[in-house]
Amino acid sequence: MSEIRLQVKNVSKSFGITKALQDVSFDIAKGEIHALIGENGSGKSTLTNSLTGIYQKDSGQFILDGVEVNPRNQVEANNEGISIIVQELGTLDGLTVAENIFLGHENKFVKCGIKNTGAMNRKATELLKEYGFERIKASDMIEHYNFEDRKLVEIVKATYFNPKIVVIDETTTALSGEGREELYKQMKRIREAGNTVIFISHDLPEVLRLSDTITVLRDGVYIDTVKSSDVDEDGLKKLMVGREVSGEYYRADYGERVSDEVVMRVKNVTVPGLISNVSFDLHRGEILGFGGLSESGMHEIGKACFGASFDREGTVELQDGTQINDIPTAIAHSIAYTSKDRDNESLVMNQSIRDNICLPSLKTLANKLHLLRDGKLKKFAQQFAATMSTKMESVDQFASNLSGGNKQKVVLARWIGKDSDILLLDSPTRGIDVKVKQDIYQLMDKMRKEGKSIVMISEELMELIGMCDRIIIMKDGEINGEIMRDKDMDENTLIAKMV
Amino acid sequence: MANTDKQVTKDSALKKQTIINMLRSALPIIGLVVVFIVFNTLTKGNMWTSRKLILNQVYVVLISTVGVFFIMTMGGLDFSQGSIMGMASIVVCMLSKVNIVLAIVGGVLAGAAIGAVNGFFYVNRKIKSFIVTICTMFLFRGFIKYMASNSPVAASMKVYDYDTLGIKLGITLAVLAVSFLVFRFTKFGIHLKAIGAGEKATKFAGVRTDRVKFLIYVLAGAITGLAAFVNIVKNGSATANVGNQLETQILIALVLGGMPISGGAKVRFENIIVGSLLYIVLNNGLIMMGLTTQAMQLIQGVIFLIFVALFADRQSLSVIK
Repeated sequence: MSEIRLQVKNVSKSFGITKALQDVSFDIAKGEIHALIGENGSGKSTLTNSLTGIYQKDSGQFILDGVEVNPRNQVEANNEGISIIVQELGTLDGLTVAENIFLGHENKFVKCGIKNTGAMNRKATELLKEYGFERIKASDMIEHYNFEDRKLVEIVKATYFNPKIVVIDETTTALSGEGREELYKQMKRIREAGNTVIFISHDLPEVLRLSDTITVLRDGVYIDTVKSSDVDEDGLKKLMVGREVSGEYYRADYGERVSDEVVMRVKNVTVPGLISNVSFDLHRGEILGFGGLSESGMHEIGKACFGASFDREGTVELQDGTQINDIPTAIAHSIAYTSKDRDNESLVMNQSIRDNICLPSLKTLANKLHLLRDGKLKKFAQQFAATMSTKMESVDQFASNLSGGNKQKVVLARWIGKDSDILLLDSPTRGIDVKVKQDIYQLMDKMRKEGKSIVMISEELMELIGMCDRIIIMKDGEINGEIMRDKDMDENTLIAKMV
Repeated sequence: MANTDKQVTKDSALKKQTIINMLRSALPIIGLVVVFIVFNTLTKGNMWTSRKLILNQVYVVLISTVGVFFIMTMGGLDFSQGSIMGMASIVVCMLSKVNIVLAIVGGVLAGAAIGAVNGFFYVNRKIKSFIVTICTMFLFRGFIKYMASNSPVAASMKVYDYDTLGIKLGITLAVLAVSFLVFRFTKFGIHLKAIGAGEKATKFAGVRTDRVKFLIYVLAGAITGLAAFVNIVKNGSATANVGNQLETQILIALVLGGMPISGGAKVRFENIIVGSLLYIVLNNGLIMMGLTTQAMQLIQGVIFLIFVALFADRQSLSVIK
C-alpha cells in the first residue's frame, strides 16, 4: 500500500434537517486516481465541496499529508494544494482567459497595487502552450469560447500549480470524446507526478477503466472502498444501490406499436439562442424521449411546448387545433410540465403542499359562487399526495421541508390531480433516489397504458433507453437524430449523435 | 439507529418551529392588550374615555391598509399610498359639490388610476415596486401641492352629513368583510400568497401572474380612493399635506400586526386589524403621555425595527419585488 495522502475522518454535514454526510471516514493514497461513486444525493459532491472549501463541514477532519486542513474557500484550498473542476461551468464571464486561470491568485502579478496584465497573459499563454491548448488565447474574453474550451481552461486553472489533490466532479458528461481524452491524459499526468485525483463520475465503465481505487457512498454514509481490479460493473451497482437491481426497473415491453394518432404537433419551433427549427409529433400513449448534452437546448423543448418560452417562434398545435402560446392555455388543454429547476419553477417552496397541489385545479375546486372551502382543498391534496405515496407530516407542511424525491412527488401529484393528458417531464428523476425513481418509472408506464402521452427530457441516457418508445437526440439546438425503442440499443448509439 | 436519530432531530426541529410560529402569531394580540393596558394605567383611564376619538382615527388607516396588505402578500410594496390618498381626497372634495355618489365614484377611480400607473411600470416595465411607488409618491405629491398649496380644496358642506359612526364604521366593515372573503375563500387569495412565496413556480402552475400583479395595484389604489371619502367626511377639506405619510403608517401598522415583510404563505388577514389598532393605540398613547413629536418618532422607529426583526421570514428572504 502506498503512502496516504488524505485521511477523511468522521466527516458529517447537514443541510437543515437533511444529513448529507454522516460520519464518513476513509483514506486516499498518493499517486492514485480515486473514484467516488454513488447514487444522486449520496453525498459525493458534498464531500468534495467540503474538502475544497465550497461548503463548511459540520464536524470531522480532513488530514492532508498528516496535517489537518480546513479551507474556508476555494482560494485557501488552492493554497493548501487542493483544487476542483466542478460539474457546471466554473469559469466567469466578463473576465479574460488569463484572469480566469489566475482568479484568486492575482497577487503574483500585482506590484504596488497595479496588476501587470502583460505578465499575467504571458504566463497564461505559456501554460496553455504547455498543455497543448495553443488555440486558446490568454487575452481573449472567456465567453468567446464554447463550453468545451472553457472546461479546458478550467483544467489548466485547477492543475497548473501542481496541486496535491485535484477533484474532478462529473466533468466528463459535459465533454465530447476529444475533450474527455484530454481530461484523461491530464488525470494520468497528475497521477504520474505522484499526486492524487479524486474522480466523481456516474459512468461506471469509465470509472472502472480509469481509476485505481473506488469508494462508494450511499445516502451520505460510507459503504466501501475497493480496488478497481477486484470489481465489475454489477458489483459496483450493487454497492451503490444496496441490493440487486431488478430487471423491472424500467419498462419491460419491447415491440409494442404506438398509436398513429397525433396529440401534439410541434412545427418549426425556434427559441433564439436555445433551439432552432425543431419539429416533431407526439402520439397518443407514447413516451417520447429527448436526449443530448445539457447545453444542447433539449431542456427548452419542454418549456416551448408548455408556452413558457420567451420569444418563441413556430407553432405548437394540439389535436383539436388549439395553439399553445401561453401557460394558462396549455394547462387548460390538459398539458402538464415539470421543470428541471424543481425548486424555482415547479414548486412554490414556501407554500403548503396543499396549495401546491391545488394551484392549477382551483377553478374546478371552487363552488358556483367561486368560493373555495379549506376542507375540500385539503381532501383533494391528501388524495393525490397519497396516490403518489408522498412522505410528509401533513399537507399543511411547507414544500421546502421535503426531500428532492418527495418534492417531485408533490409536483406529479398536482398534475395527476389535474388529470393532464400530455405530460412534459424535464429531468423527472434528477437528484432522486432509486426507490422513488422506480415509482416514477412505473407511474409513467401506467399513464402510457392509459393513453396519456409523455415527453421525457433527460440527461440520463439509461432511463431514456429504458423508458422511451422513441428518442430524439438534440445537438446545438437542433434535432440530430431519432432512434426507435430497441432492446439492443446502448448508450454509445446515443452518444455518437450527441457530440 | 442512524435513521431514528435523524427522525428525532427532525421532529424536534419541527416542534421548535411550531412553537416559534405560535409565539409569533400570538405576539401582536398580546402586544395590543399590553399596550392598551399600559397606556390606560399611565394616563389613568384617559385613553378609555377618549376611545371614540381614537376609533375615529382608525377607519382611514384600516381601510387603506387592506389594499397594501394584498400588495405585500404578493411580495410587493407601495409607498405611494399617501399621495393616492391626497389625490383622491382632492377629487372627492371637488366632485362633492356636484353629487356625493359621484364624489365616491370619482375618488375610487382616481385611486385606481394611480394604482394602474404603478401597476403598469411595475409589471410591464419590470421596475421594482418600491422604486416605482416612490417615484409616483413624489410625482403626485407635487400635483397635490400644486392644487392645494394656496388654499385647501374645500368639500361641499353636505359631506358633514355623512360624518356618522354608521357610515364610517359601515364602509370600514364592508371593505374588511369583502376583502376577507376574497382573500380566504377564492382562488385569488391563494394566487396572491403563491406569488409572494414563489412567483416563477406560480407562473408555471398556470397563474397569470402579471395580470394579478397589475390588478392588485389598481385595487389597492381604488380601496385607498374609498378611504379618501371617509377622510374628507371627517375633515371637510384637502390640504397640501393630505394623506402625508399614510404609507409609513400603513407599513408600520402591518408590521405591528405581524405581517412578514416578504409576504407569502405566512400572512394572515388578522394582521390588518390587529396592526391598525395597535398602531393607533400606540400613537395616541404616546401623544397623551405628552411626548414630543421627535421622541414619538424615535420610539416608533425602535418598535418598528424590533417587529420587523421578529417577523422577517428568513427562510424565504429575498429581495422585495
